Amino acid sequence: MAKKISVAPFWGCMIPVKYPQMELSVRKTMEQIDVELVDLDQFTCCPDPIYFKARDKIQWLTIAARNLAVAEEAGQDIVTMCSGCTSTLLEAKFMLAEDSKLKNQVNEKLKKINKEYKGTVKVKHIVVMLRDDVGVQRIKESINRPLIGVKVGIHYGCHLLKPSQIMHIDDADYPSLLENLIQALGATPLTHREKLLCCGKGCMDDEMPLEMTYEVFDSMESVGVDCMGLICPTCFNSFDMGQILIARKMNREFNLPVIYFCQLLGLAQGFAPEEVGLHLHRIKVDRIMEMIGASEKPLEMVA
Amino acid sequence: MTQRKLDFSFREKLNKIVGGNHHNYCYQCGSCVAVCPAARFSDDFNPREILLKTLLGEEEDLIRSDSIIWKCTNCYSCYERCPQDVRPVEVIIALKNLCAEQGVLPGDINKFSETLIKTGRSVIITSTVNRRRQELGLPELKDVNVKELQTIIE
Repeated sequence: MAKKISVAPFWGCMIPVKYPQMELSVRKTMEQIDVELVDLDQFTCCPDPIYFKARDKIQWLTIAARNLAVAEEAGQDIVTMCSGCTSTLLEAKFMLAEDSKLKNQVNEKLKKINKEYKGTVKVKHIVVMLRDDVGVQRIKESINRPLIGVKVGIHYGCHLLKPSQIMHIDDADYPSLLENLIQALGATPLTHREKLLCCGKGCMDDEMPLEMTYEVFDSMESVGVDCMGLICPTCFNSFDMGQILIARKMNREFNLPVIYFCQLLGLAQGFAPEEVGLHLHRIKVDRIMEMIGASEKPLEMVA
Repeated sequence: MTQRKLDFSFREKLNKIVGGNHHNYCYQCGSCVAVCPAARFSDDFNPREILLKTLLGEEEDLIRSDSIIWKCTNCYSCYERCPQDVRPVEVIIALKNLCAEQGVLPGDINKFSETLIKTGRSVIITSTVNRRRQELGLPELKDVNVKELQTIIE
Protein backbone atom coordinates (compact mmCIF):
# COMPACT_ATOMS: atom_id res chain seq x y z
CA MET A 1 0.00 0.00 0.00
CA ALA A 2 1.46 3.31 -1.08
CA LYS A 3 1.98 6.06 1.45
CA LYS A 4 -0.91 8.49 1.67
CA ILE A 5 -0.17 11.92 0.26
CA SER A 6 -1.55 14.94 2.10
CA VAL A 7 -1.47 18.41 0.55
CA ALA A 8 -3.18 21.79 0.81
CA PRO A 9 -5.10 22.52 -2.41
CA PHE A 10 -4.62 26.07 -3.68
CA TRP A 11 -7.76 26.47 -5.78
CA GLY A 12 -7.08 30.03 -6.89
CA CYS A 13 -9.88 32.29 -8.14
CA MET A 14 -10.87 31.13 -11.62
CA ILE A 15 -11.48 27.47 -10.77
CA PRO A 16 -13.77 27.68 -7.71
CA VAL A 17 -15.71 30.68 -9.06
CA LYS A 18 -15.85 30.28 -12.84
CA TYR A 19 -14.99 26.62 -13.47
CA PRO A 20 -15.99 24.65 -10.36
CA GLN A 21 -16.19 21.56 -12.58
CA MET A 22 -12.39 21.48 -12.48
CA GLU A 23 -12.41 21.53 -8.67
CA LEU A 24 -15.01 18.76 -8.73
CA SER A 25 -12.82 16.63 -10.99
CA VAL A 26 -9.79 17.15 -8.73
CA ARG A 27 -11.69 16.22 -5.56
CA LYS A 28 -13.24 13.11 -7.18
CA THR A 29 -10.09 11.80 -8.83
CA MET A 30 -7.70 12.44 -5.94
CA GLU A 31 -9.97 10.39 -3.68
CA GLN A 32 -9.41 7.44 -6.02
CA ILE A 33 -5.64 7.58 -5.59
CA ASP A 34 -5.47 8.31 -1.86
CA VAL A 35 -4.40 11.92 -2.10
CA GLU A 36 -5.80 13.75 0.89
CA LEU A 37 -6.73 17.38 0.23
CA VAL A 38 -6.51 19.49 3.38
CA ASP A 39 -8.43 22.70 2.65
CA LEU A 40 -6.97 25.81 4.30
CA ASP A 41 -9.41 28.70 4.47
CA GLN A 42 -6.89 31.53 4.78
CA PHE A 43 -5.61 31.69 1.18
CA THR A 44 -6.40 34.74 -0.94
CA CYS A 45 -5.84 35.25 -4.69
CA CYS A 46 -2.29 34.08 -5.46
CA PRO A 47 -2.25 37.03 -6.79
CA ASP A 48 -2.44 36.74 -10.55
CA PRO A 49 0.89 37.00 -12.40
CA ILE A 50 -0.31 39.33 -15.15
CA TYR A 51 -2.72 42.08 -14.13
CA PHE A 52 -2.03 42.55 -10.45
CA LYS A 53 1.70 42.09 -10.93
CA ALA A 54 1.58 44.85 -13.57
CA ARG A 55 0.25 47.20 -10.93
CA ASP A 56 2.84 46.67 -8.21
CA LYS A 57 5.43 43.88 -8.03
CA ILE A 58 6.12 44.40 -4.33
CA GLN A 59 2.44 44.14 -3.41
CA TRP A 60 2.15 41.11 -5.66
CA LEU A 61 5.13 39.47 -3.98
CA THR A 62 3.90 40.30 -0.47
CA ILE A 63 0.47 38.76 -1.03
CA ALA A 64 2.09 35.67 -2.55
CA ALA A 65 4.44 35.39 0.43
CA ARG A 66 1.48 35.60 2.80
CA ASN A 67 -0.19 32.68 1.01
CA LEU A 68 3.01 30.66 1.24
CA ALA A 69 3.30 31.52 4.95
CA VAL A 70 -0.27 30.31 5.53
CA ALA A 71 0.69 26.86 4.24
CA GLU A 72 3.95 26.87 6.22
CA GLU A 73 2.04 27.62 9.42
CA ALA A 74 -0.31 24.73 8.72
CA GLY A 75 2.64 22.46 7.98
CA GLN A 76 1.27 21.59 4.54
CA ASP A 77 2.78 21.69 1.09
CA ILE A 78 0.71 23.34 -1.63
CA VAL A 79 -0.75 21.73 -4.72
CA THR A 80 -1.97 24.19 -7.37
CA MET A 81 -4.59 23.55 -10.06
CA CYS A 82 -3.91 26.60 -12.22
CA SER A 83 -0.76 27.47 -14.10
CA GLY A 84 -1.08 31.12 -13.10
CA CYS A 85 -1.11 30.29 -9.38
CA THR A 86 1.80 27.92 -9.94
CA SER A 87 3.74 30.67 -11.68
CA THR A 88 3.08 33.29 -9.00
CA LEU A 89 3.86 31.08 -6.02
CA LEU A 90 6.97 29.51 -7.52
CA GLU A 91 8.29 32.82 -8.83
CA ALA A 92 7.71 34.42 -5.44
CA LYS A 93 9.66 31.60 -3.80
CA PHE A 94 12.45 32.06 -6.34
CA MET A 95 12.66 35.84 -5.93
CA LEU A 96 12.64 35.64 -2.15
CA ALA A 97 15.37 33.01 -2.18
CA GLU A 98 17.42 34.99 -4.70
CA ASP A 99 17.35 38.30 -2.83
CA SER A 100 17.58 38.31 0.97
CA LYS A 101 17.01 42.08 1.16
CA LEU A 102 13.75 41.64 -0.69
CA LYS A 103 12.80 38.79 1.63
CA ASN A 104 13.42 40.98 4.68
CA GLN A 105 11.40 43.78 3.12
CA VAL A 106 8.46 41.43 2.51
CA ASN A 107 8.72 39.85 5.96
CA GLU A 108 8.62 43.33 7.54
CA LYS A 109 5.18 43.71 5.93
CA LEU A 110 4.06 40.25 7.01
CA LYS A 111 5.07 41.07 10.59
CA LYS A 112 2.06 43.41 10.75
CA ILE A 113 -0.18 40.35 10.67
CA ASN A 114 2.17 38.19 12.77
CA LYS A 115 3.26 36.08 9.86
CA GLU A 116 6.65 35.19 8.48
CA TYR A 117 7.67 33.60 5.21
CA LYS A 118 10.45 31.10 5.89
CA GLY A 119 10.85 29.42 2.52
CA THR A 120 10.15 25.85 3.58
CA VAL A 121 6.87 25.21 1.77
CA LYS A 122 6.86 23.21 -1.47
CA VAL A 123 4.56 24.18 -4.33
CA LYS A 124 3.57 21.79 -7.10
CA HIS A 125 1.04 21.92 -9.90
CA ILE A 126 -1.27 18.93 -9.60
CA VAL A 127 0.14 17.27 -12.73
CA VAL A 128 3.65 17.52 -11.26
CA MET A 129 2.44 15.95 -8.02
CA LEU A 130 0.84 13.18 -10.09
CA ARG A 131 4.08 12.53 -11.93
CA ASP A 132 6.49 12.82 -8.99
CA ASP A 133 4.61 11.78 -5.86
CA VAL A 134 1.69 9.64 -7.02
CA GLY A 135 3.43 8.11 -10.02
CA VAL A 136 2.16 6.71 -13.28
CA GLN A 137 1.79 3.22 -11.84
CA ARG A 138 -0.66 4.31 -9.13
CA ILE A 139 -2.64 6.33 -11.69
CA LYS A 140 -2.90 3.29 -13.95
CA GLU A 141 -4.15 1.15 -11.07
CA SER A 142 -7.01 3.61 -10.49
CA ILE A 143 -8.28 3.32 -14.04
CA ASN A 144 -11.17 1.07 -15.00
CA ARG A 145 -12.22 2.64 -18.30
CA PRO A 146 -9.05 3.44 -20.26
CA LEU A 147 -9.47 6.05 -22.93
CA ILE A 148 -8.37 3.69 -25.69
CA GLY A 149 -8.32 5.29 -29.11
CA VAL A 150 -8.94 8.84 -27.87
CA LYS A 151 -6.45 11.19 -29.49
CA VAL A 152 -5.68 14.07 -27.17
CA GLY A 153 -4.16 17.31 -28.44
CA ILE A 154 -2.00 18.56 -25.62
CA HIS A 155 -1.79 22.23 -24.73
CA TYR A 156 0.89 22.94 -22.15
CA GLY A 157 0.24 26.65 -21.75
CA CYS A 158 3.08 28.97 -20.80
CA HIS A 159 3.33 29.20 -17.07
CA LEU A 160 3.79 25.56 -16.13
CA LEU A 161 7.15 25.26 -17.88
CA LYS A 162 8.64 28.72 -18.27
CA PRO A 163 10.98 29.98 -17.09
CA SER A 164 12.52 26.56 -16.44
CA GLN A 165 15.11 28.22 -14.20
CA ILE A 166 12.25 28.84 -11.76
CA MET A 167 9.71 26.15 -12.55
CA HIS A 168 12.09 23.16 -12.60
CA ILE A 169 9.34 20.98 -14.03
CA ASP A 170 10.34 19.80 -17.48
CA ASP A 171 12.26 20.70 -20.63
CA ALA A 172 10.48 23.87 -21.79
CA ASP A 173 11.06 23.06 -25.47
CA TYR A 174 10.57 19.29 -25.48
CA PRO A 175 8.36 18.47 -22.51
CA SER A 176 7.06 14.97 -21.86
CA LEU A 177 5.12 15.39 -18.60
CA LEU A 178 1.62 15.59 -20.08
CA GLU A 179 2.34 13.05 -22.82
CA ASN A 180 3.23 10.48 -20.16
CA LEU A 181 0.20 11.26 -18.01
CA ILE A 182 -2.20 11.13 -20.99
CA GLN A 183 -0.68 7.80 -21.98
CA ALA A 184 -1.24 6.49 -18.46
CA LEU A 185 -4.97 7.03 -19.05
CA GLY A 186 -4.85 4.77 -22.11
CA ALA A 187 -5.31 7.70 -24.48
CA THR A 188 -2.99 8.73 -27.31
CA PRO A 189 -1.27 12.08 -26.90
CA LEU A 190 -0.77 13.80 -30.24
CA THR A 191 1.93 16.30 -30.79
CA HIS A 192 1.20 19.20 -33.09
CA ARG A 193 3.11 22.20 -34.40
CA GLU A 194 1.57 24.73 -32.00
CA LYS A 195 1.69 22.55 -28.89
CA LEU A 196 3.66 25.21 -27.03
CA LEU A 197 1.97 28.34 -28.38
CA CYS A 198 0.53 30.79 -25.85
CA CYS A 199 -3.28 30.80 -25.56
CA GLY A 200 -3.13 34.59 -25.93
CA LYS A 201 -5.07 35.52 -22.82
CA GLY A 202 -2.40 37.77 -21.29
CA CYS A 203 -2.11 39.97 -24.38
CA MET A 204 -4.13 43.17 -24.24
CA ASP A 205 -5.13 43.50 -27.87
CA ASP A 206 -8.47 43.20 -29.67
CA GLU A 207 -7.35 40.73 -32.33
CA MET A 208 -4.18 38.89 -31.34
CA PRO A 209 -5.46 36.58 -28.57
CA LEU A 210 -8.12 35.06 -30.80
CA GLU A 211 -5.65 34.69 -33.67
CA MET A 212 -3.35 32.69 -31.40
CA THR A 213 -6.22 30.52 -30.19
CA TYR A 214 -7.18 29.93 -33.81
CA GLU A 215 -3.66 28.79 -34.73
CA VAL A 216 -3.65 26.27 -31.89
CA PHE A 217 -6.97 24.80 -33.05
CA ASP A 218 -5.88 24.74 -36.67
CA SER A 219 -2.72 22.92 -35.65
CA MET A 220 -4.59 20.36 -33.56
CA GLU A 221 -7.22 19.76 -36.22
CA SER A 222 -4.54 19.16 -38.85
CA VAL A 223 -3.28 16.12 -36.91
CA GLY A 224 -6.80 14.85 -36.20
CA VAL A 225 -7.26 15.14 -32.45
CA ASP A 226 -10.53 14.11 -30.78
CA CYS A 227 -10.23 16.57 -27.91
CA MET A 228 -7.89 19.02 -26.32
CA GLY A 229 -6.24 18.31 -22.96
CA LEU A 230 -5.00 21.14 -20.76
CA ILE A 231 -4.16 22.09 -17.21
CA CYS A 232 -4.98 25.78 -16.77
CA PRO A 233 -8.33 27.54 -16.32
CA THR A 234 -7.14 30.64 -18.16
CA CYS A 235 -6.18 28.60 -21.21
CA PHE A 236 -9.52 26.80 -20.85
CA ASN A 237 -11.33 30.11 -21.08
CA SER A 238 -9.42 30.95 -24.26
CA PHE A 239 -10.26 27.65 -25.91
CA ASP A 240 -13.77 26.72 -24.75
CA MET A 241 -15.37 30.15 -25.06
CA GLY A 242 -12.77 30.93 -27.73
CA GLN A 243 -14.29 28.35 -30.08
CA ILE A 244 -17.63 30.14 -29.93
CA LEU A 245 -15.89 33.44 -30.70
CA ILE A 246 -13.89 31.90 -33.55
CA ALA A 247 -17.06 30.46 -35.08
CA ARG A 248 -18.70 33.89 -34.85
CA LYS A 249 -15.84 36.16 -35.85
CA MET A 250 -13.66 33.96 -38.06
CA ASN A 251 -16.34 31.71 -39.44
CA ARG A 252 -14.73 28.38 -38.65
CA GLU A 253 -16.12 25.66 -36.40
CA PHE A 254 -13.62 23.34 -34.76
CA ASN A 255 -16.02 21.69 -32.34
CA LEU A 256 -13.27 20.23 -30.18
CA PRO A 257 -14.05 19.39 -26.55
CA VAL A 258 -11.60 21.14 -24.22
CA ILE A 259 -10.89 18.99 -21.19
CA TYR A 260 -8.96 19.71 -17.98
CA PHE A 261 -6.51 16.92 -17.15
CA CYS A 262 -8.32 15.75 -14.00
CA GLN A 263 -11.56 15.52 -15.97
CA LEU A 264 -9.82 13.16 -18.42
CA LEU A 265 -8.49 11.23 -15.44
CA GLY A 266 -12.03 11.10 -14.04
CA LEU A 267 -13.45 9.70 -17.27
CA ALA A 268 -10.74 7.04 -17.24
CA GLN A 269 -11.56 6.24 -13.62
CA GLY A 270 -15.12 5.51 -14.76
CA PHE A 271 -16.91 8.70 -13.76
CA ALA A 272 -19.75 9.92 -15.98
CA PRO A 273 -19.12 13.23 -17.78
CA GLU A 274 -21.50 15.10 -15.48
CA GLU A 275 -19.74 13.69 -12.40
CA VAL A 276 -16.66 15.64 -13.45
CA GLY A 277 -18.69 18.62 -14.67
CA LEU A 278 -18.17 18.15 -18.40
CA HIS A 279 -21.81 19.02 -19.02
CA LEU A 280 -20.91 22.62 -18.17
CA HIS A 281 -18.54 22.97 -21.12
CA ARG A 282 -19.60 24.68 -24.34
CA ILE A 283 -18.30 21.84 -26.48
CA LYS A 284 -19.81 18.51 -25.36
CA VAL A 285 -17.99 15.20 -25.07
CA ASP A 286 -20.61 12.80 -26.47
CA ARG A 287 -18.33 11.53 -29.23
CA ILE A 288 -15.52 10.76 -26.77
CA MET A 289 -17.97 8.80 -24.63
CA GLU A 290 -19.03 6.81 -27.68
CA MET A 291 -15.39 6.06 -28.44
CA ILE A 292 -14.80 4.60 -24.99
CA GLY A 293 -18.08 2.71 -25.09
CA ALA A 294 -19.95 4.71 -22.50
CA SER A 295 -22.54 6.52 -24.57
CA GLU A 296 -25.62 4.91 -23.04
CA LYS A 297 -25.93 7.63 -20.41
CA PRO A 298 -27.16 10.77 -22.16
CA LEU A 299 -25.64 14.06 -21.09
CA GLU A 300 -27.79 16.27 -19.01
CA MET A 301 -27.95 19.70 -20.58
CA VAL A 302 -27.59 22.54 -18.13
CA ALA A 303 -28.41 26.06 -19.25
CA MET B 1 16.21 64.72 -38.49
CA THR B 2 17.05 65.93 -35.01
CA GLN B 3 19.19 63.76 -32.82
CA ARG B 4 17.40 62.18 -29.90
CA LYS B 5 18.49 63.22 -26.46
CA LEU B 6 19.51 60.38 -24.16
CA ASP B 7 17.89 60.44 -20.76
CA PHE B 8 19.48 58.10 -18.25
CA SER B 9 17.31 59.25 -15.35
CA PHE B 10 14.61 56.96 -16.72
CA ARG B 11 16.88 53.95 -16.40
CA GLU B 12 17.67 54.91 -12.82
CA LYS B 13 13.95 55.02 -12.06
CA LEU B 14 13.46 51.60 -13.64
CA ASN B 15 16.39 50.15 -11.68
CA LYS B 16 14.46 50.77 -8.47
CA ILE B 17 11.61 48.44 -9.49
CA VAL B 18 12.12 44.74 -8.71
CA GLY B 19 13.59 43.11 -11.82
CA GLY B 20 13.82 46.42 -13.67
CA ASN B 21 17.60 46.57 -13.27
CA HIS B 22 18.08 43.52 -15.49
CA HIS B 23 17.47 45.74 -18.55
CA ASN B 24 21.09 46.87 -18.19
CA TYR B 25 22.33 43.48 -19.39
CA CYS B 26 20.60 43.61 -22.79
CA TYR B 27 23.02 43.52 -25.74
CA GLN B 28 20.26 43.62 -28.36
CA CYS B 29 20.75 40.15 -29.81
CA GLY B 30 17.06 39.64 -30.56
CA SER B 31 16.75 36.09 -29.20
CA CYS B 32 13.61 37.29 -27.44
CA VAL B 33 12.02 38.33 -30.74
CA ALA B 34 12.53 34.91 -32.28
CA VAL B 35 10.47 33.17 -29.59
CA CYS B 36 7.93 35.93 -28.89
CA PRO B 37 4.34 35.03 -29.86
CA ALA B 38 3.24 38.67 -29.65
CA ALA B 39 5.97 39.59 -32.15
CA ARG B 40 4.77 36.80 -34.41
CA PHE B 41 1.14 37.88 -34.35
CA SER B 42 1.65 41.64 -34.39
CA ASP B 43 3.29 44.05 -36.82
CA ASP B 44 4.55 46.39 -34.16
CA PHE B 45 5.35 44.41 -30.99
CA ASN B 46 9.06 43.69 -30.66
CA PRO B 47 10.67 42.97 -27.28
CA ARG B 48 14.17 43.89 -28.50
CA GLU B 49 12.89 47.32 -29.55
CA ILE B 50 11.17 47.76 -26.19
CA LEU B 51 14.50 47.04 -24.49
CA LEU B 52 16.27 49.47 -26.84
CA LYS B 53 13.77 52.22 -26.07
CA THR B 54 14.29 51.46 -22.39
CA LEU B 55 18.06 51.73 -22.73
CA LEU B 56 17.64 55.03 -24.58
CA GLY B 57 15.25 56.34 -21.94
CA GLU B 58 12.29 56.89 -24.25
CA GLU B 59 9.88 57.23 -21.39
CA GLU B 60 7.12 59.06 -23.26
CA ASP B 61 6.73 56.19 -25.69
CA LEU B 62 6.82 53.44 -23.10
CA ILE B 63 4.97 54.79 -20.08
CA ARG B 64 1.42 55.20 -21.38
CA SER B 65 -1.86 53.38 -21.00
CA ASP B 66 -1.79 52.68 -24.76
CA SER B 67 1.91 51.72 -24.82
CA ILE B 68 2.96 48.76 -26.94
CA ILE B 69 4.11 46.99 -23.75
CA TRP B 70 0.50 46.00 -22.97
CA LYS B 71 0.50 43.63 -25.94
CA CYS B 72 3.04 41.37 -24.20
CA THR B 73 1.45 37.93 -23.73
CA ASN B 74 3.38 37.32 -20.49
CA CYS B 75 4.37 33.90 -21.81
CA TYR B 76 7.92 33.95 -20.41
CA SER B 77 9.47 32.60 -23.63
CA CYS B 78 11.89 35.55 -23.68
CA TYR B 79 12.86 34.88 -20.07
CA GLU B 80 13.53 31.27 -21.06
CA ARG B 81 15.67 32.15 -24.08
CA CYS B 82 17.59 35.33 -23.15
CA PRO B 83 21.34 34.57 -22.97
CA GLN B 84 21.93 37.64 -20.80
CA ASP B 85 19.36 36.95 -18.06
CA VAL B 86 17.62 40.21 -18.94
CA ARG B 87 14.28 38.54 -18.21
CA PRO B 88 12.61 40.84 -20.77
CA VAL B 89 9.07 40.05 -19.58
CA GLU B 90 10.07 41.13 -16.06
CA VAL B 91 11.50 44.38 -17.43
CA ILE B 92 8.23 44.92 -19.30
CA ILE B 93 6.31 44.29 -16.06
CA ALA B 94 8.61 46.76 -14.28
CA LEU B 95 7.72 49.29 -17.01
CA LYS B 96 4.05 48.56 -16.29
CA ASN B 97 4.72 49.26 -12.60
CA LEU B 98 6.07 52.67 -13.66
CA CYS B 99 2.83 53.22 -15.60
CA ALA B 100 0.98 52.49 -12.34
CA GLU B 101 3.16 54.94 -10.41
CA GLN B 102 2.38 57.62 -12.95
CA GLY B 103 -1.33 56.83 -12.98
CA VAL B 104 -1.49 55.62 -16.58
CA LEU B 105 -2.66 52.02 -16.17
CA PRO B 106 -5.23 50.67 -18.64
CA GLY B 107 -8.71 50.72 -17.10
CA ASP B 108 -9.07 46.93 -17.07
CA ILE B 109 -6.07 46.53 -14.79
CA ASN B 110 -7.32 49.14 -12.35
CA LYS B 111 -10.71 47.45 -12.17
CA PHE B 112 -9.17 44.03 -11.72
CA SER B 113 -6.82 45.22 -8.97
CA GLU B 114 -9.60 47.00 -7.11
CA THR B 115 -11.66 43.79 -7.05
CA LEU B 116 -8.67 41.89 -5.72
CA ILE B 117 -7.90 44.38 -2.97
CA LYS B 118 -11.57 44.72 -1.97
CA THR B 119 -12.46 41.02 -1.94
CA GLY B 120 -9.17 39.09 -1.84
CA ARG B 121 -10.19 37.35 -5.06
CA SER B 122 -9.69 38.38 -8.66
CA VAL B 123 -13.07 37.03 -9.76
CA ILE B 124 -16.30 38.30 -8.22
CA ILE B 125 -18.59 35.72 -6.60
CA THR B 126 -22.07 36.27 -8.02
CA SER B 127 -25.24 34.77 -6.56
CA THR B 128 -25.19 31.97 -9.11
CA VAL B 129 -21.70 30.78 -8.14
CA ASN B 130 -22.56 29.14 -4.83
CA ARG B 131 -25.79 27.75 -6.31
CA ARG B 132 -23.82 26.03 -9.05
CA ARG B 133 -21.26 24.79 -6.54
CA GLN B 134 -24.08 23.37 -4.45
CA GLU B 135 -25.50 21.58 -7.50
CA LEU B 136 -22.08 20.02 -8.01
CA GLY B 137 -21.84 19.03 -4.34
CA LEU B 138 -18.97 21.42 -3.65
CA PRO B 139 -18.52 23.37 -0.39
CA GLU B 140 -19.79 26.95 -0.28
CA LEU B 141 -17.22 29.66 -0.98
CA LYS B 142 -16.58 31.78 2.08
CA ASP B 143 -15.14 35.27 2.25
CA VAL B 144 -11.36 35.25 2.34
CA ASN B 145 -9.22 37.09 4.89
CA VAL B 146 -9.15 40.35 3.00
CA LYS B 147 -8.25 42.42 6.05
CA GLU B 148 -4.84 40.76 6.30
CA LEU B 149 -4.30 41.27 2.59
CA GLN B 150 -5.13 44.97 2.88
CA THR B 151 -2.90 45.38 5.94
CA ILE B 152 0.23 43.98 4.31
CA ILE B 153 -0.04 46.12 1.17
CA GLU B 154 -0.65 49.41 2.99
